[in-house]
Amino acid sequence: MATTHIRTDFDVEVSDRALGYNLPQRVGRALWFPMLAMALMAFPAGVVLGAVRANLIATGGSEQLVAALGQFAPAANFLGFASVFAAISFAIARILGAFRRGGGQVQEATGGRVHTLRMPATAKVFIAVMAMAMMTLIGAVVLHVVVGAAIAADSTYALGHATQWGFWLEGARRIGIALYLLAITFGLASIITVLRFQAVRVRELPDEATTTPPDRRPA
Amino acid sequence: MASADALLLRPAPGADYRAKSRLRTAGLTVALFGVAGAMVALVANIVAGVWSGQAGRAARVPEIDAWSFGLNTAAFGVVKVSIAIVLLGILRRLWLRVESVKAALPVLKAAPEGPGAVQTGTINTAYGRATVSSHAPKSLLIHRMARAMWAPSLAMGFMAVAAGLVLAVVQATKVVPDPELASDLSAWVRGIGFLGEGFLLSGISFLLGSILYSLRKGGGEAQESAGGAVHTLRMPTTAKLFVGLMMVGLMVEIFQFVVYLVTTTFDQSTVASYYAWLGPVREAGLGIILSGIVLALVTIGNVLGFQFSRIKDIIATGR
Repeated sequence: MATTHIRTDFDVEVSDRALGYNLPQRVGRALWFPMLAMALMAFPAGVVLGAVRANLIATGGSEQLVAALGQFAPAANFLGFASVFAAISFAIARILGAFRRGGGQVQEATGGRVHTLRMPATAKVFIAVMAMAMMTLIGAVVLHVVVGAAIAADSTYALGHATQWGFWLEGARRIGIALYLLAITFGLASIITVLRFQAVRVRELPDEATTTPPDRRPA
Repeated sequence: MASADALLLRPAPGADYRAKSRLRTAGLTVALFGVAGAMVALVANIVAGVWSGQAGRAARVPEIDAWSFGLNTAAFGVVKVSIAIVLLGILRRLWLRVESVKAALPVLKAAPEGPGAVQTGTINTAYGRATVSSHAPKSLLIHRMARAMWAPSLAMGFMAVAAGLVLAVVQATKVVPDPELASDLSAWVRGIGFLGEGFLLSGISFLLGSILYSLRKGGGEAQESAGGAVHTLRMPTTAKLFVGLMMVGLMVEIFQFVVYLVTTTFDQSTVASYYAWLGPVREAGLGIILSGIVLALVTIGNVLGFQFSRIKDIIATGR
């Protein structure tokens, strides 16, 4: 059972045993590979759609189809970016999980009490901004598909406003990528906090192992 | 880059392991600055979308499109630089943690039972095959390359992205008076901007490679300090794929840059068809490098799991 323990330098939980992965870390461990696999499928799909569109332009193909593919190709590419950035974020969560679990197990092996860093503010920002970025990119991808499908279905309104939607969706895609990069920066900053905590905590262990051997630890 | 190694990657002996990281603060500040630039580009895109449907203002849309593309690419570049700054902070913290483990582990380890000779060779572990030696391992070629190349890659990337921004601003001023020059500049902006992004991501990849080096070297030093055998994980498949993907992705970015420059010699109708496939190709190039970065981070997670397991064994068995 973990209890709250106030240190002056770090906000930690104190327990007798190592704590396992928290929910974001379990999600990260489960999802990094599916996301990477999706990205590795989406990017080639975008290239193929781009090549088909290029061929239509070069051979004087249907203007309607060219415009529709002009929506589908970025949709595939940015589905790829949404996936690969999600995979990076999940891989960072996985690293944070390795620190949390491994650091706890090492402390447990010394026979002392286990101090586990509570989720830093930067990690919370990391999760929140990553969710915003993913929703923004997925939203842009969905709208690209909707606009492309409307153009392919002979909508003169959609064809007439394709340029306008192109600008708006490009803006959404760009800010989605920027937010993802910001989230990754915060995730990596959390690793620095964890490393600092572990550098301090490891040096405390010899004293605790000597002064509080396992048979005299408080209940 | 021995100087970069000494100054940036490994803190001097006796450095304060309790002090907060300035690189962390600097990285987060730079990242927010980059996102602010992307916000300006977003507003520009919204305005361009609205104006594109208004007869009186539609003529100004290509100008906005030109500079906002350059600004946005530069903003991405700034945030990627911030990621590199934070990675440098991680590198320094890793070494401070190694020093802490080296100070604590000899005291924490149990007294070993039986003779203490190290049996060198290869063993299987839950994290893959590992080499057993009596000393910390030497760096691999890829580690030396990563430590030498991260700074030049970041510098080239930043310069290319900055050049792209300057060219984009010039392009915006030439849209009306000289549309042909503006078209040529558009090719340069796209080509050099994405080449810069590719170099920046490669610099980040090299920093991740440097982190893997410090884990390998530092993990070996920590085990050696305890006086027992040094177990070192062999290069995992994910690490090999990481290197391959990074190189392929960077080559794609160099390729798209060359083709964009070649398009400046084409007529407008040919340019349109080339742009149709070059856009997805340049994005795919970045996607390939990013996929490599995923695998580098996964490798780091695995190596950390292995090292925690090894430290636990030393504490429990003394060897």
